[in-house]
Amino acid sequence: MEEVTRLLTLHQIRKQFDKKVVLEDITIDINQGEIVSLLGPSGSGKTTLLNIILGLTKMDHGKIMLNNQDISHISMRKRNFNIVFQDYALFPNLNSYQNIVYGLKNQKVKMPEEELQEYIDFLELRPHLTKKIGELSGGQKQRVALARTLVTKPKLLLLDEPLSALDGVIKESIKDRIKSIAKELKLTTIIVTHDPEEALTLSDKILIINEGKVAQFGTPKEIITQPQDDFVREFILRQLQIKRKNIYNLFGDYHE
Amino acid sequence: MNKVKPEMKIIFFVVTVLFLIFLFLPMIMLFMRSFETDQGFTVTNYINTLSDTDFLTAIGNSFKVSSVTALVTTVSAFVMAYAINVTRIFPFLKGVLRTGILLPMLLPTITYGFTIMYSFGNQGLLTRLFGRPLFEIYGFNGLLIGYVIYTLPPAFLVIHNSFQYIDKRFIVVSKLMGDSPLRSFLNTIVRPLWGTLGGAFVLSFILSFTDFGIPASIGGTYTVVATQLYQVMLGSIPDFNHGAVIAVIMLLPALIGIMLLHYLEKLNFHYDKLTHIELIQNKWRDIFLGSISLLILVAVIATFAIMFIAPFLQHYPFNNSFTWEHIIDTFQSNDLTGVYKNSLFVSLLTAVIGTIVAYGSALLNMRTQLKGKSVMDVIAMMTNTVPGMVLGLSYLFLFNGTSFKGTFTILIFCNLVHFFTTPYLMAKNSLSKMNPGWETTGELLGDSWFKTIYRIIIPNSATTILEMGSYYFINSMVTISGIIFLITAETSLVSSKIQQLQHFAKFNEIFVLSLLIFVTNLFVKMLFNFLQKRTTLH
Repeated sequence: MEEVTRLLTLHQIRKQFDKKVVLEDITIDINQGEIVSLLGPSGSGKTTLLNIILGLTKMDHGKIMLNNQDISHISMRKRNFNIVFQDYALFPNLNSYQNIVYGLKNQKVKMPEEELQEYIDFLELRPHLTKKIGELSGGQKQRVALARTLVTKPKLLLLDEPLSALDGVIKESIKDRIKSIAKELKLTTIIVTHDPEEALTLSDKILIINEGKVAQFGTPKEIITQPQDDFVREFILRQLQIKRKNIYNLFGDYHE
Repeated sequence: MNKVKPEMKIIFFVVTVLFLIFLFLPMIMLFMRSFETDQGFTVTNYINTLSDTDFLTAIGNSFKVSSVTALVTTVSAFVMAYAINVTRIFPFLKGVLRTGILLPMLLPTITYGFTIMYSFGNQGLLTRLFGRPLFEIYGFNGLLIGYVIYTLPPAFLVIHNSFQYIDKRFIVVSKLMGDSPLRSFLNTIVRPLWGTLGGAFVLSFILSFTDFGIPASIGGTYTVVATQLYQVMLGSIPDFNHGAVIAVIMLLPALIGIMLLHYLEKLNFHYDKLTHIELIQNKWRDIFLGSISLLILVAVIATFAIMFIAPFLQHYPFNNSFTWEHIIDTFQSNDLTGVYKNSLFVSLLTAVIGTIVAYGSALLNMRTQLKGKSVMDVIAMMTNTVPGMVLGLSYLFLFNGTSFKGTFTILIFCNLVHFFTTPYLMAKNSLSKMNPGWETTGELLGDSWFKTIYRIIIPNSATTILEMGSYYFINSMVTISGIIFLITAETSLVSSKIQQLQHFAKFNEIFVLSLLIFVTNLFVKMLFNFLQKRTTLH
């Protein structure tokens, strides 16, 4: 059994825009190397929470602890977290390779060339290094964005709706890729998603947010077997049941 | 969106101070001067000006000729844009029409007047072709032709641009629904463009109302507001306070016009989605619109033809043998090459500084969270409203006793402010389309804000920056209304030199200088187009 170390603690986080409270009393612990999904419908506050963790948005109340140190007032840059945005925010004036090494040029300690090449191979980007961003497919863009983020060796990887712009087989392969990155690099990863299936199959733990409040925080199994409120039952599990029914029907072997 | 950084505040401070000194303070000074009398601040100047019959005639004339111009221009520009966008005439002809109609933009308006004289005057090129003078050119007719040529390119650009955003599928739908050709035309073309057509009318009106170059050359005894202002300020008995009143009055139609433009914008249709669709075949429509458009273009080009011919003839129209003499003389005259160098110098610096300021302002507004950033939009609206002559005059009032007076600096800043709106909007448009996450990503990857701007934002707006520079350069080369009150013998520019040369009837020099501006602007335009293409390819 691997030893569990707590990496990040969110304590009573609260945020309001104008008079609307978007996050209220969010308290969770995230362990080193875990994949945690923030799941909820549009407007539930999950992206705001992600931006607060990143240091992009200021919270009104609460604390963020990293390795038991309060980082609430530490700037985004000094937290050493990194994010892959939903639309990747790749720089179109640079090619894939230039995008990947963009951040390395700002670092005092240079990354050994072999290590960089390992990242490139790990994400299978070698055939695409000289391509312009406009020439890449959605999945390739996603991998370039991941590589650009990973080479900076962030303490925490944040992914904002990483699969929403992808479809079919590519979606599944990127899902596997994210899992293997987190496990092999032991990188704590927080993912924002609105898709229950994605959250439940990808993560170690899931934070379900409804109208800015924690509806449930637990492992996929806990969520499926012990839903804690009506929202989790009706909104999250019902969706999955309908999906399951449709797929079983399709194969002709559904029994209620 | 990234947080506010000290460097953003510094740029904001510099830009606002710049516009405070070169826009707000001069305008305040102008208003003060318009109320200033021996008895203190009163409305006497206004009462005197508004009871001056000469001035009232000039205002009446300005309204009359500008309204007719706006009508002719809007209809002509619409026909050309229609022919280019909704017919199946040859793509090559469309290209010729689209490029050809913009050529007058490369010349100062004062040149238009002289080409009209040399084309339609008693001994004019076109008069000779037609065998008799077509009309009296000095006064209303000459002004009308000049203003139409002047306002046709911008009006065309506005309408042509709007045509691109009209969903042409509706033409097919209307036909399928059994609409008559007239009803179909009104519903699918005129109605969606109604706001734009109104906008083109207002724009043409304001441009004609405030232009100085054309009436200065061909107005004759037909006085308009711009020539009145010039007379009052630089005539035999200058009256500065009276001039200030005229300038304020000149500002009013522009102010109302801009408000109207904002209102008209609301009338425009916004289609959710644009689809490309094959246009319905209609041979007669194509022949009819193609011919009219070509005729308009030929008429414009024919008016300028003389400018390319006269400088190479001994003494048009009396001795038409070929010579290089006038060209050589101009290049050997230190006086004339001097003003050309001045123009180049002012235009280059305006292009560089203007582009930096306009880009910086747009950057603050579109890509930062700075408080008060929308003041940039207010500035852009003001610079769009203030006519060049009014701006130049306000500088004269504010900087008269200062070391700025008679310097190139004042000319450069006058041009920078005068032409600010369009480059600013170009930059704003381009920056708004960029990914909002770039600065944050740059920062997370260890960049400072400046570094991301330099490494990412600027390279991705390179084509827009080039377009902004070219706009500033060309307009600074051709402007006369903005700088006419500010030049001195040492800082004289080509356009103002042309204005002086007419008093000595040195038309060959006028045409050679105009040709020089034209060739320079054409070269710059082509160079920037080439650079833009290269940037896009890379």
